[in-house]
Amino acid sequence: MSAAALYGFLAHGIIFGAFVAALPLGGRWRMLALVAIPIALATGIASFMHGIVGTPSLTLLALAVWQLASLRQSPLAYRPALALLTFAIPFYAMALGLGPLDPYAPGYQPLPLLAASLPLAALLWWRRLDGWLLILAFDLAGYASGLFANLWDVLFDPLLVLVALTVVVGRSFRRRTSPEGNPVDA
Amino acid sequence: MTLPRWLPPLLFVLAMGAAAWRAPAPAAPEFSRAPSAAASRAPASFAAAMLPSAAPSAHAATLAELPDGRLAAAWFAGTREGAADVAVWFATLSADGWSQPQAIATREGTAAATLAYVRKIGNPVLYNDGERLHLWFVSVAIGGWAGSMLNHSVSGDGGRTWAPPVRLQTSPFLNISTLVRAPPLPLADGGLGLPAYHEFIAKHGEWLRLAADGRIIDKGRMALERRAVQPAVAALDERHALAILRDGGPAPGQIRSATSDDGGRRWTAANALPLPNPNASVAMLRLHGDRLLIAGNGASNRNELLLWISDDAGKNWRSAPSVESVGDAGAEFSYPALLQARDGRIHLAYTWRRQGIKHAVFNEAWLDGGTP
Repeated sequence: MSAAALYGFLAHGIIFGAFVAALPLGGRWRMLALVAIPIALATGIASFMHGIVGTPSLTLLALAVWQLASLRQSPLAYRPALALLTFAIPFYAMALGLGPLDPYAPGYQPLPLLAASLPLAALLWWRRLDGWLLILAFDLAGYASGLFANLWDVLFDPLLVLVALTVVVGRSFRRRTSPEGNPVDA
Repeated sequence: MTLPRWLPPLLFVLAMGAAAWRAPAPAAPEFSRAPSAAASRAPASFAAAMLPSAAPSAHAATLAELPDGRLAAAWFAGTREGAADVAVWFATLSADGWSQPQAIATREGTAAATLAYVRKIGNPVLYNDGERLHLWFVSVAIGGWAGSMLNHSVSGDGGRTWAPPVRLQTSPFLNISTLVRAPPLPLADGGLGLPAYHEFIAKHGEWLRLAADGRIIDKGRMALERRAVQPAVAALDERHALAILRDGGPAPGQIRSATSDDGGRRWTAANALPLPNPNASVAMLRLHGDRLLIAGNGASNRNELLLWISDDAGKNWRSAPSVESVGDAGAEFSYPALLQARDGRIHLAYTWRRQGIKHAVFNEAWLDGGTP
């Protein structure tokens, strides 16, 4: 098996553990989440996720580890999730054939994309979004490892977009049901 | 724990430098001037025979010539198309005839090698680069063929043993809907240009540029006005190429085409060829000079397998002798694969009534109307 196959398989085990960690399981959530990882690997759950979803992005893996380690609040708050949705939905539509241009193709020779990440990194640093800057560094280091042929696959994937959708929809739902109508998070 | 303010940007700069070092920046692609077979003065010849059966249902043959001159064929077969027992089968043709088929890719083996669930496999493509025999084939985890992912395996011993397949990342959305049908073209830098296609929601041809190590380093789209898939490509010189595609639009169909004038980086829709296509796979081969040969089906069904020749790089086409033609509209002779061996003989493999794969071998004298 290839290193990329091993990465995808193990990463999906960790992501499954992070999903379990996000469930309302009370005080024993961390133990249950850590038990869920080997269960996912041993029972075929991770293999099934790998088959259906494909190779997970390093961003999703980093957020999963973040969730499992219970490091402060997840960086995937409402605004980053909304920004990801705004970018990813037309990106996927064009990549699947809407229009003549394929935005996925430049990810195979990504020097211009890497250059574009410089102002993004500067913005993240200026706004003191260290979590996202570290995740971006983690993503680029992962690309440099050779596990990924296309830079876009390092940055996001459909499962991450689905998570972002739940963040946005969840926040909208909470705003509706909140008596004051105030946002719950930023 | 609070990180020093300087640490995240420092890590970012280091990672970006490493990523920039890794990012491919290949030169503009050019097609390789592959040595073409010499024009033969042999008398017209034609022979055809069925390949040994591997399973009740067989489809989608592909051909390659091995370094020792043997012809290799691969196809998928099982109880029916899409069944869990479908495997990619491989056989070689020597002076003793066709070898017994051996399974070189299975659903279980692909799942084990990729550590990912696989429901079915299909469409193989063989290519011999002189040192290694390549096999690309599609696998599906969920849904129909539109959900296909692309896998790649290589053999260093003429197909006896194969490395575990590697799944290629060709699409950002669940990595689905990249299929292959026709063989790649060699590029001048040692890489390959692999015709592929997409059929989830939209249907169009694609072009994958592979580095010499098999890694994808570019991808292009053949965007036509009509739905068209399964491109087969012939290089006309170092920069120009013609792609012909299966017409996926409403009947009556014609063979669709696209051209490239920059080594395959960009593809432009061209006029449909004046040749019928009943939404069925076509094959194309460049013979010596500017001669091109196409194999495909007749206007309305797959009960005729026809050949057409162009003597002027695809501008004009004329009919060559037909290979199969029966009155039964339900009969199927489809999914042709063409290859010209180094000895100049032309090999054609195709699906025969879904019951097996048939192999025909002929020469240019027969194409030009000579009687065997």
